[in-house]
Amino acid sequence: MLEMKNINKIFQTADVQTHALRDFNLTVNEGDFVSVTGPSGSGKTTFLNIAGLLETYTSGDFYLDGQNVGMLNDSGRSKMRNQKIGFVFQGFNLIPDLNLFYNVDVPLRYRGFNAKERKQRIEENLARVGLASRMKHVPSQLSGGQQQRVAIARALATDPRFLLADEPTGNLDSEMADGVMSLLEDINKQGTTIIMVTHDPELALRASRRIQVKDGRVSELDIVAEKALA
Amino acid sequence: MLEIGLIFRALMRNKIGALLIALQIALTLAIMVNAIFMIQDRNVQMSRPSGLDESNTFYLTNTVFGENYNLQAALQTDLQKLRNMDGIDNAIQINAVPLSDGGWSMGLAREPGEDKNSVGTAIYMVDEHGIDTLGVNLIAGQNFTQQDIAWRGAQDTKWPPKAIVTKALATSLFPDDWQSAVGKTVFISKDQPMQIIGIVEQLQAPWNGWSGVERSTLVPSQLESKSAKYFIRTEAGRRDEMMAAVEKFLSESDKQRIIRQVMTVEDTRKQSYQQHIATNKILTTVIITLTMITAFGIVGLAIFSINRRTKQIGTRRALGATQWQIMRYFMVENFMISAVGVTIGAIGAIALNYWLVNTFQIDPISIDLIIYGVIALFIVGQLAVFYPAKRASLISPATATRTT
Ligand SMILES: Nc1ncnc2c1ncn2[C@@H]1O[C@H](COP(=O)(O)OP(=O)(O)OP(=O)(O)O)[C@@H](O)[C@H]1O
Ligand SMILES: [Mg+2]
Repeated sequence: MLEMKNINKIFQTADVQTHALRDFNLTVNEGDFVSVTGPSGSGKTTFLNIAGLLETYTSGDFYLDGQNVGMLNDSGRSKMRNQKIGFVFQGFNLIPDLNLFYNVDVPLRYRGFNAKERKQRIEENLARVGLASRMKHVPSQLSGGQQQRVAIARALATDPRFLLADEPTGNLDSEMADGVMSLLEDINKQGTTIIMVTHDPELALRASRRIQVKDGRVSELDIVAEKALA
Repeated sequence: MLEIGLIFRALMRNKIGALLIALQIALTLAIMVNAIFMIQDRNVQMSRPSGLDESNTFYLTNTVFGENYNLQAALQTDLQKLRNMDGIDNAIQINAVPLSDGGWSMGLAREPGEDKNSVGTAIYMVDEHGIDTLGVNLIAGQNFTQQDIAWRGAQDTKWPPKAIVTKALATSLFPDDWQSAVGKTVFISKDQPMQIIGIVEQLQAPWNGWSGVERSTLVPSQLESKSAKYFIRTEAGRRDEMMAAVEKFLSESDKQRIIRQVMTVEDTRKQSYQQHIATNKILTTVIITLTMITAFGIVGLAIFSINRRTKQIGTRRALGATQWQIMRYFMVENFMISAVGVTIGAIGAIALNYWLVNTFQIDPISIDLIIYGVIALFIVGQLAVFYPAKRASLISPATATRTT
């Protein structure tokens, strides 16, 4: 379970203060598939970064799986990211110098699994995204959709409770986007909680729960209102 | 988990920069080790004792310009008075000073005649106070007596019948048993016999670069010369004071001569090894400069590759790497580059040394020195990469989502 209470995030630069999140309240339950929409600059990425422990917040309370995140130091947050969270990025963020096998290996090494366990997890997860046969390829030899599948395999390899995706289909054409979305749906069905930021209203509709961020505040969207929009 | 395999794979895909740095490390090691070896070699040469009581001795040149001057009487008076001066232990006239670069050399042979294998030696003409004034250590046989001392004019070619030699010279003449030299007769100037009556432990020749620098002979001759060197040993700690006093006393006691070139043995040693000292400075500068260039190269390459991989580093952090794991990545990467560098460098050092040995007849390098060099460069590498690695570890995990 993910629980945010009155989270505020203020970015302080030399002369501007940006209030990116304002009294942000959200509870995400086990097994949810949450889509996050909202205008550009509204705070979606900020929310996702805080949820994924990539960024700290200015005030409020944040519990992840019952653990008070505010109590953790940098190293504690790193370990928690590694254990509980899988990240999928708009730009895939694969390591260009490593082949698919070793890309998926990266978080497993940080976890400290032994070689046998790592190999098993890598093969299992690359198979899950349909790329078992391409293990020796480097990212540049794959299409965007395939790269994003590798990134998903990498995110899933550590068996995270939460999969966070920031516009995972933003760099893909609609056909590839559909494939990635279907994959995420499968993963969700198998029990992983997903929070996905997207600009695509159709993809957002396929999530079981939809929220909107506007001006740093969160609101639930009901299906009816959204259908009308679509 | 040191990620060695993954770091190696990533390195293999960006070989050029890493390879250049590795080669720079190799070159630095090869040159550094050989330069240090050459410095050490010179330091060993410079630290060889001359045999003299260096800190309490000095010498001067007494040049007589008076006509009808009784050189013998004046010399004896001078030496007498100097020996009685408060603060002076002993004084002699000598023809040459160790390490001063000017002196006499002769050959000594075990048999008389032309073409006999003779051993080169420096010649020091002293009286019975010679051993005490120089501060050399008589380890076998005996000193000259007053009766042994004979005057020697500028044109004389006759050598006295007795000599005292250094242990090194005795060993060259009698390789089987240097102690047996005492009492033996050797020949100088082809066929003039000289009996070795004593052996001193050590007394260097005037020429530090000569292979026979440890081979010297003391002969009981008192030179009769208008330009004489006085060699003076003072009481411990009173050298500088006595230098001024002696110069003043000698100049004032006799107006028909001038006193010049008053100089300590310590300064003579410094002058003698001036070139060594200068060369060592240059080599040290070369080592430091090369090491710094290499260190900056490592810093530069690390900063470049970290800047290029900012997003990757953020992604690694997002995937769960701790700051320390990021730092360690770059430190291990540097360690691997250094390992390649020092391996090539160690081979290069040996090859360079092999060439130097053959070209300049220097000794082969010791393996220890190469090992120390390797360790030193590993440390330099780790220190150089520390700051960039620290910077990399501070890259925010949010970089993964914030940059495109
Ligand atoms: N590191 C930062 N420093 C200062 N301001 C920031 C920083 N990151 C984000 N912001 C500001 O915070 C606000 C929210 O940004 P955020 O990236 O969360 O928006 P978003 O909803 O993800 O937008 P988009 O749809 O364009 O990705 C914006 O005004 C942005 O300029
Ligand atoms: Mg965003």
